[in-house]
Amino acid sequence: MSASGRILAEIRRARRPLRLLGASGQLGYGIPTPGFNAGLAREPDLIGCDMGSIDIGPTYLGKGEMATAPEATRRDLRKVLLAARSLDVPLVIGSAGSAGAAPHLDATLAIIRDIARADGLRFRMAVIRADLARPMLLEAFRNGRIVSFDDMPELTDDDITGAAHIVGQMGTGVFRRALAADVDVVIAGRACDTGIFAALPMLLGFDSGLAMHMAKIIECASLCCVPGGRDPIIAELDDDGFVLESTNPERRATPTSVAAHSLYEQADPFTVHEPEGTLDLSNARYEAVDERRTRVSGAVWRDTTSPTIKMEGARLIGERAVLLAGAADPRFIAQSKDILPKLSDLVRDLVCEDQPQDYTLRWRVYGVDGVRMVVPANEQPPGEVFIMGECIAPTRERASEVVRTCKQYLLHFGYPGRLSTAGNLAFPFTPPEVSLGPAYRFNVYHLLKVDDPDTLFPMEIETVQG
Amino acid sequence: MKLSDIAQVIRSKNAGPRRLTLDVMFASDADYQRVAQSPALGPEAIGLLYGVPADQVTVIPYPAGRAIKIVLARRVTAGDPGDVDVYGAQQHAPLLGIEL
Repeated sequence: MSASGRILAEIRRARRPLRLLGASGQLGYGIPTPGFNAGLAREPDLIGCDMGSIDIGPTYLGKGEMATAPEATRRDLRKVLLAARSLDVPLVIGSAGSAGAAPHLDATLAIIRDIARADGLRFRMAVIRADLARPMLLEAFRNGRIVSFDDMPELTDDDITGAAHIVGQMGTGVFRRALAADVDVVIAGRACDTGIFAALPMLLGFDSGLAMHMAKIIECASLCCVPGGRDPIIAELDDDGFVLESTNPERRATPTSVAAHSLYEQADPFTVHEPEGTLDLSNARYEAVDERRTRVSGAVWRDTTSPTIKMEGARLIGERAVLLAGAADPRFIAQSKDILPKLSDLVRDLVCEDQPQDYTLRWRVYGVDGVRMVVPANEQPPGEVFIMGECIAPTRERASEVVRTCKQYLLHFGYPGRLSTAGNLAFPFTPPEVSLGPAYRFNVYHLLKVDDPDTLFPMEIETVQG
Repeated sequence: MKLSDIAQVIRSKNAGPRRLTLDVMFASDADYQRVAQSPALGPEAIGLLYGVPADQVTVIPYPAGRAIKIVLARRVTAGDPGDVDVYGAQQHAPLLGIEL
């Protein structure tokens, strides 16, 4: 029997509280070993890790690349895989490879198979894909089953066919199906973090509201503590609530710190929308067990009759190149708002002498208005600034041509009152122009209405033989 | 008194690529109550600070976490050309100097 089958049978035979280890909120950036080992010493029934997010921006999804370094990803995967196999408990990983589309999932699976070979491991693995089939999406779109939210522009046929990858955030149903299939390891593409930890307790009949609330908190490891951090976290779930405890003795899960975590990256601290329903936290209670542990209860789960899947898609918009430079001349800094548009026009006239403008060029002046949306009036000018020119063009060569031309003409740009006639810019190194590769944007962030969300996400089971 | 003198946490982050969420947290219930009742953190005042119409600003008091949550529409979708802060993690700065 495999790990999930063993745990399910054991707890069905003699019901007891479940212990879950939230090993990492972002697998691939390192898992602190002392905390991880302390967590393993508590003999968890499941080890779960979240591996991705939409926060990292559209390029990883579009390009099919992980955000984490391959060696660090391998080190973390090996750590959790060896631990789960030695305890014989399920290892559940969601949003594989940062963005959870086919190339991310396949790269993650390749590392896992490689670790199994090197370490001589043998296990049963469920693989759940998150890519949404284009013909299905086109049909759903025509039938009015794809809707906008958060003021995202309406979708078009072209958005569906033109996106490099489109994934759906799978819910808990597919994780339940995987764990019910007697497996040791579950690797899912793009997924709501809740499925990773809520599926096992839900299969065992623990309260869905408590299971979902617990999952929502421990997917971020010890971030719900003071001070918050990356160390793994232990949750112990019973029929009336769950107790949270960081594996790092310096991190305390207090009622306020845990309650405050409901705010994190959420638009509404009282309601969490999931594919299969809504988590209502308005009556959640947070009580101190001792200085380091908090008991949480009171969350209520409501199933929906109209499930929706959040879709994420990224589309190629060109090749990106940037110019990096500093400046310290007060007159140049004071006039930069006028100088940069003029420079852009001058460059356009040169590089578009025999063709229409086919690129975009943007300037950010750090120290002045590079970061903030609104700059207060009458702010004192800074002593020095960092200037970044960003070009997105149809080809790498074209983007590079534009920023290289910008470099030369901005360096020698003449403006009223200029004293520094040998050059306007300080380059920390040369070349100061950098090609950054393909650029993408999120062109799909919409809701797909489905009757049965689980049917969107095919599962395969393989025996990994080291 | 400025908000940064009384708050324990003032932070910002995306809530999805189309929304920015700002959290202000306090060490005591008294501090929380004092700020929660102030118009300085109302939708009009916040809208002015961020260049967003007041009807696109939501302010949610959250006593259990001694916190006030503010949600704004992002002007540019996270990661789109022209974005300045893909994670939205540095958009809290205008809140720091709010006079109470």
